[in-house]
Amino acid sequence: MAELATGPTRRSHRASCVKREADSPTSSRCALAGLYVHVPVCRSKCRYCGFYSVPADGVNAVRFVDGLLRELDRHEGIEFCTAYIGGGSPTSLPADELVRLAERVRERSPRAQEFTVECNPGQVDANLLAQLREAGVNRLSFGAQSFVARELELLSRGHSVEQIEAAVLAARQAGFKNVGLDLIFAVPGSTLADWQASLEAAVALNIEHVSAYSLSFEPGTVFEAWRGTGRLTTVDEELDRAMYEWTIERLDRAGLVQYEISNFARPGFECRHNLGYWANRPYVGIGPAAASCLTEGTHACGVLRITNDADIERYLAAVESGRAAPAETQAVSLDDAVCETAVLNLRRRGGIDRAEFQRRTGRDAIQVFAEPIERYQAMGMIEVTDRSVRLTRQALPVADTVLCDFAALD
Amino acid sequence: MNIQNIRNFSIVAHIDHGKSTLADRMLELTGAITERQAKDQILDSMDIERERGITIKASAVTMEYEHEGRTYMLNLIDTPGHVDFHYEVSRALTACEGALLVVDATQGIQAQTLANAYVATEAGAEILGVINKVDLPAAQPDLVAEEVEHVLGIRKNDCFHISAKTGLGVKDLLDAVCMLLPPPADRSKEPARALIFDSQYDDYRGVICYVRVFSGTIRTRQRIRLMGTGYTYQVTELGKFRPDMRPVDSLGTGEVGYVIANIRDLANVRIGDTITDDVHPAPDALKGYKPPMQMVFSDFYPGNNTEYPRLRAAFDKLALNDASFTFVPQNSQALGFGFRCGFLGLLHMEIIQERLERENDIDVVQTAPTVSYEILLRDGTVKRIDAPSELPDRTMIEEIREPFVKLEIITTNDTIGGIMKLAEARRCKLIKTDYLSPTRVMMEYKAPLAEIVYDFYDLIKGISHGYATMDYEFTAFEAEDLVKIDILVNGQAVEALSLIVHRSNAEPRGRKLIIKLRKSIPRHQFEIPLQVAIGGKIIARETIKAYRKDVTAKLYGGDVTRKMKVLKKQKEGKKRMKSVGSVQIPQEAFMSILDTGE
Repeated sequence: MAELATGPTRRSHRASCVKREADSPTSSRCALAGLYVHVPVCRSKCRYCGFYSVPADGVNAVRFVDGLLRELDRHEGIEFCTAYIGGGSPTSLPADELVRLAERVRERSPRAQEFTVECNPGQVDANLLAQLREAGVNRLSFGAQSFVARELELLSRGHSVEQIEAAVLAARQAGFKNVGLDLIFAVPGSTLADWQASLEAAVALNIEHVSAYSLSFEPGTVFEAWRGTGRLTTVDEELDRAMYEWTIERLDRAGLVQYEISNFARPGFECRHNLGYWANRPYVGIGPAAASCLTEGTHACGVLRITNDADIERYLAAVESGRAAPAETQAVSLDDAVCETAVLNLRRRGGIDRAEFQRRTGRDAIQVFAEPIERYQAMGMIEVTDRSVRLTRQALPVADTVLCDFAALD
Repeated sequence: MNIQNIRNFSIVAHIDHGKSTLADRMLELTGAITERQAKDQILDSMDIERERGITIKASAVTMEYEHEGRTYMLNLIDTPGHVDFHYEVSRALTACEGALLVVDATQGIQAQTLANAYVATEAGAEILGVINKVDLPAAQPDLVAEEVEHVLGIRKNDCFHISAKTGLGVKDLLDAVCMLLPPPADRSKEPARALIFDSQYDDYRGVICYVRVFSGTIRTRQRIRLMGTGYTYQVTELGKFRPDMRPVDSLGTGEVGYVIANIRDLANVRIGDTITDDVHPAPDALKGYKPPMQMVFSDFYPGNNTEYPRLRAAFDKLALNDASFTFVPQNSQALGFGFRCGFLGLLHMEIIQERLERENDIDVVQTAPTVSYEILLRDGTVKRIDAPSELPDRTMIEEIREPFVKLEIITTNDTIGGIMKLAEARRCKLIKTDYLSPTRVMMEYKAPLAEIVYDFYDLIKGISHGYATMDYEFTAFEAEDLVKIDILVNGQAVEALSLIVHRSNAEPRGRKLIIKLRKSIPRHQFEIPLQVAIGGKIIARETIKAYRKDVTAKLYGGDVTRKMKVLKKQKEGKKRMKSVGSVQIPQEAFMSILDTGE
């Protein structure tokens, strides 16, 4: 793991780390990181989605995948422990190109225990899924979002309830033993019964993993505009909370245990790739708008966060001419890294593992965050044991309000 | 310069009646500035003044003007035009022999025209009536001149009709300043005495004193003494404002300028003090200015407790430029260490707050303004308190006295009814009404300061469609049936939210206040009761419901930067609030106490 030694010998590497970063940010030889491949391409834009994406029919898929692979080649020397192709919708690429991408990613990460591809349930068939399985993909995450037809229509997902069920079935038939669904609750107009129906349908599919998010109105989206004009109204806060609490309770009964604020899994099927984010371990993101986080092996060097430019043309022009993808590099100070680690860790149901935190940041979480920890402990929002600091059950619905007190040091 | 050729004068006017524009025209006509240089309203140097269109600080400028073959030195001392700044007007006018009373020809006499005219008369200044904006289509100069004659006793035929904007009549006015205003008395043979009528702090040169020499001469390198404090200094620079600072070797009797004497300690210069020669001092100081009377008080706390020393330094600096502002350390259970500040009025308070934030980059939490009270105790002693929290135990109090003011409102006769209704609701007693003209009337009230100090002016402006103007002057403390109401947040009394109110208003005021609080305190993860109490008895209650759900959005690698930014901002927002127990109270909540919400 990239976590690191804290001894004086490593500190002396500080200068050289920075220098290395200047010409090639990812030349660390032995780092074990997550690999994320971003495909910001969609067949159509969903009305609620605030992420950058471009229409699939405007993208030369061969050229785009070539570009991704060129960028991937630049990261030689890094060994990946997980791989994840996400989007956008990776499945909006022609099947051949997606499979070619998956094959190459697998080649580059032979020891990755988990290799996920995000799929739109309306964009897969038995053939594609079999080829992905063949290419070494071992986990699928379906953007199901809802099992209520009215909601799918409103969200403009471009797939039906039946297609979700068919996609999961096809995944099983292709041999996938690790399948997850993304779901969205608190969709405008939705009732608790609607959400309960979606959860029942998900549970009935016997999947291994659920990510459940409450809908947020993002700037620049159709939803946000519609809310502005009164065409949509946000779901009442109490209902939102009731939906969330029902999610935790119902999925738990189905054997899908909450392991992060929005994530639930059968024991052993927690998403390893995402666990890397919440542990604040290093990861490499390739593709337009993808983010990397490189710790260079020791916290003494601080953390570098590199965010690729979103523009596909500029991205391709750069990588095709053998240059690095245009990106913004942000050096995260040690203090900020401490805060990020705390915020990310606290999203996990297990919270901050004090020993892990100490190893990663060189600081004692209890000391660094003494004030908010004590305050929230008194309010029953945080519990502390010898080994961990974590949010209590009642803190989960208002996690942001609690976490913001860990977002900066005074 | 021959003393006979010196004229020291001021322009006094109601806000927006054209005082600063007239000053600009005079500066151009006398060649002090060219038209091109003329920034609009050059005398108002502070940003806040520009924005609010008012002059806060007095400043002075020296002009040379030829009249009938003689060169005159004209010293124009600018005065603030707002209701809160009586004191500063009085300081500036004391340094003058004459005053130009400017009245807008489209608006006529307004409340501050009257107030300023009284101050000028009191200061012994010769007054010239000036009707401005005669070029405007809506101008009624003859009617306004009649008002001036009727109300102020200045003959209408003696009024000057000008347009400061176009320059019409301004030259005649300058001639009149030379001919009609008296020169300073010749006391050049007497020991040096100069009045400090204003001051300013310069980071490099220390204190810059604005002075008017009344007798003798002040010279560079002279050893001077400040008679009030006894401190001595050596003059390093003397000069005049033309309007930029120009050094001179000496300032003689009757002259106006600045003195720099390497004065580093802000506390050593008092506005109103007399400068004299250290070796041959004058026997007496000049008659002092009226000391300013702080009538409105509010606590300022640093948003972050570690900024307390910076806040103190900032107040030290502000106090130097503003003799009418006071501050004393204060320690509140809820808000920590801060200062109790005294102001002349509400506008004065807002200006200090803005300057504090703008010039010093300090976040402050400010409590609701209150007035001063006099408490007659059972043992016969009288105590002055500046905050409800200082009120002694009920059992010790014989009576509570509140400040009353003489309030003058000038308005149009069709809006009298609305104004009278408001005044009555605010416990004001009508003393007399006086018609200035068939359509305009002046009403005089006896009013409790506490009732008019906050939003009253805005309300009468609203009722009268902007026509009414008002001014007030403190008269006396008088006993009333007053009680203290306490506000309990989550069961804990918050002293900074306590109010002293008339018993008849206690329940509705308290209820309105907690409704406002309910709206301004963000919801927490738990329910918060808000209560109003008089002497331990709860008379009203509201509840802030618990906060139930965040948007617990996803957080993966690409989201970290943005999410951390959002969380940090959320934390910043919390930092601007004050913790009372486990409740975070935002600054607006402390201000909401003010809003009587008609």
